[in-house]
Amino acid sequence: MLGHNKSKTVLLSGNEAIARGALEGGVGFVASYPGTPSTGITTNLMRIADRFGMHVEWSTNEKVALEAAVGASWMGIPALCSMKSLGLNVAADFLLNVNLSGTGRGGIVIVVCDDPRGYSSSNEQDSRFYAEAAMIPLLEPSTPQEAKDLVKYALTLSSEKQVPVMIRSTTRLSHSRGVVVTNELTERDWTPLEMIPDDLYNVPTPHLKHRDLLAKLRGIADGFDKSKLNHLEPTGARDFTAICSGVSYMYAREVIERLGLTRRVGILHLTTTHPLPQSIINDTLERCERVLFLEEGSPFIEDATRVLATMLDGKRVTMYGKRSGHIPAYGEMTPDIVKGALQSILGIADDEVEAPSKDILERIDALLVPRPLTFCAGCTHRNAYWALTRIRKRLKGNLIVTGDIGCYSLGVFYHRIMSTMQAMGSGLGTANGIAQLKQFGLKTKTVAVAGDSTFYHACLPALINARHKNLDLTFLILDNSTTAMTGFQSHPGSEAQGESDERVEIADVVRGIGPDHLLIGDAQKVGATTNMLWDAVNKPGLKVVLLRGVCRLERRRQPELTVKKRVFVDPDLCQGVGCRVCVGEFGCFALVWDETEGAAVVDDDICVRCGACIEICPQGAIKEESE
Amino acid sequence: MNTYNIMIAGVGGQGNLQCGAVLADATMEAGLRPVVGETFGASRRGGGVITHLRISEEHRGPLIPQREVDLMLGMEPLEALRASRDFAGQRTMTVMSDMRVETMDTLSGTRAYPSTEEIAACLRDLCGELYVISPAEAMDTLGTSRVLNAYMIGAGFCLGYMPLKRNHIRAALENMRGDTELNIRAFERGIEDAKSLTTRSDD
Repeated sequence: MLGHNKSKTVLLSGNEAIARGALEGGVGFVASYPGTPSTGITTNLMRIADRFGMHVEWSTNEKVALEAAVGASWMGIPALCSMKSLGLNVAADFLLNVNLSGTGRGGIVIVVCDDPRGYSSSNEQDSRFYAEAAMIPLLEPSTPQEAKDLVKYALTLSSEKQVPVMIRSTTRLSHSRGVVVTNELTERDWTPLEMIPDDLYNVPTPHLKHRDLLAKLRGIADGFDKSKLNHLEPTGARDFTAICSGVSYMYAREVIERLGLTRRVGILHLTTTHPLPQSIINDTLERCERVLFLEEGSPFIEDATRVLATMLDGKRVTMYGKRSGHIPAYGEMTPDIVKGALQSILGIADDEVEAPSKDILERIDALLVPRPLTFCAGCTHRNAYWALTRIRKRLKGNLIVTGDIGCYSLGVFYHRIMSTMQAMGSGLGTANGIAQLKQFGLKTKTVAVAGDSTFYHACLPALINARHKNLDLTFLILDNSTTAMTGFQSHPGSEAQGESDERVEIADVVRGIGPDHLLIGDAQKVGATTNMLWDAVNKPGLKVVLLRGVCRLERRRQPELTVKKRVFVDPDLCQGVGCRVCVGEFGCFALVWDETEGAAVVDDDICVRCGACIEICPQGAIKEESE
Repeated sequence: MNTYNIMIAGVGGQGNLQCGAVLADATMEAGLRPVVGETFGASRRGGGVITHLRISEEHRGPLIPQREVDLMLGMEPLEALRASRDFAGQRTMTVMSDMRVETMDTLSGTRAYPSTEEIAACLRDLCGELYVISPAEAMDTLGTSRVLNAYMIGAGFCLGYMPLKRNHIRAALENMRGDTELNIRAFERGIEDAKSLTTRSDD
């Protein structure tokens, strides 16, 4: 859908539109690390990479991705690096240096997809402050069409000014679809420069590089000031103006129209939100009495505008937003929040919509059974955590499990076996601190969990630290050979590798670091896994347990690998309601409680026939059908 | 025209997102502008999925404002109730499938799955109109519940007031990946089954 040559009207998601913009902008080099809601950008470009002669890769982490992309830009190749909000934290160290050094003539666009409300994230950070910290231009599209057009614009701007240009999307743009008119694709030429440009470092005078960057930024601000990317609707400002960016602009337009306020409330739509276009903002503030800030995340535009306002002579404008409490300072923006704020500030009612009674909502709440995320039927992560719950029991609770980012993060919900979950690699990092406390008398055993893709992304420094400090801990790697959470992207250890890629196996890397014990097991075998982990936890020293598992979603795409024999519960052996270990504790949702029989049954439609539950039934009532 | 808002509520794996894609494509066929907002998070791991579809003459935001849903397609009773709680109102017609997808709590017997009648009673009070449809027999005949989404589009098309024509949706189903013929049969069967729930005639 993305690879057509012509100008066409098509339906694209925000992420697809960004990918199309990259193609139209002549991008030759794309590097990223998967993370919802950004993943689709690179996935889409990867599909058409060969056809257009682009290089598109999943790098080991966001920092490497950005470094690789900038390397290409230095050598004259237009480059794109997309990531989720949290990924920019990883890449920030490099970003806050290369902004000063310069990015060459190729051009580098960083697309960062924030996730307000944290639908697929462990925080809801607003990444725009990185644009301010790095003193680089920032663009915020509000529709898929704008997203596409801005990528092209950003590539040109970056190439011209030789600074990274950041585009900020949010979940509601990346994961929404709208009509986009595409442009024709132009000829592309990706001949790298023969030699790297001069002066790509900041020492010994980073302060002078800083001075030069600020001058560059002033030039960019002048351009933004004249840019049609920011506009006031209608041009003659009302005495009340909503200042918006991103999808909030779409909500504002709709709500203002819906409440019949088009004659009372104007809209200032900002796309270039760093550096802020001062003239159009000053102009707006001069002409109106009140403004309302509508933006997703932190009060970023709001704060900058409040600062600008202090420099206006005499004029006092009343400002509403997150600072004033009229807009919640957490969660995602919705049309209802916009409506509520306008109604409360302007003192108007909505006659069209009637809120449901408290009584009906209470009746509904009483019926709503939650639907928490769970491991898939047959997921081997469940087996590993089940084993850890058995070990915790045997240790009378004296087991600390620190966790990490991936599908296996669901371990925090699985009998609360996993106690922590922060950044990529932090499970092992924090375990370094906890295990070190043995010298102060801590007796509790420590296990750190990480997945395979996470291992490459961020676990190596912590593993080396653990070796170097001679820590007594168990590092459990749940290896299902794919980046499962984000949709099965390959990584250096994946079984299937691209033609020109070389596989880097986890076991080889671990052996190089040299733990006291490296144990390799099969997570499909619950009993053996439990024994191996028990053995590891009780051995002194640094133990690495590499559990080979299977992603059932990935395997479903390869049905020939599924075990063929049916698994069933023998009703004569099932101990019924007094036991319930399978449905109540193991909790694979292919195991269903049959109220009338008073026994567990296997749901054949859901069961993947992995046989893991056969081992966990204390009565041996779960069986594999014989041929 | 006013924006026509369709919300599709279901569970990961039910083809909720494809349902939105087909209706968006049909909207394009009708010469209107669709906007689809998808809320799936980590839905593949058994969570709920909500799709917001706005049909309009201009570009709209990706979220339907609360109580402004015109047609709620409930692919699953509990999820239809959950989405309706936050988004449905007097303007809403809900068309709900009575085929359940159990939750961890209902499977393990920790909590009871509410009866269809209890759910319907709440929805009747909350929404302008409610139709409960039973796709089980149709799914049996068609041989797979993977076409529940096409079936529900048919039911919604028949009962609701989508600004789309039957041929727009058929054309969109033809563009869809998978078994086109089966999807179209499911769509037509959805229309047929829905007709028996109402005295109104369709196009």
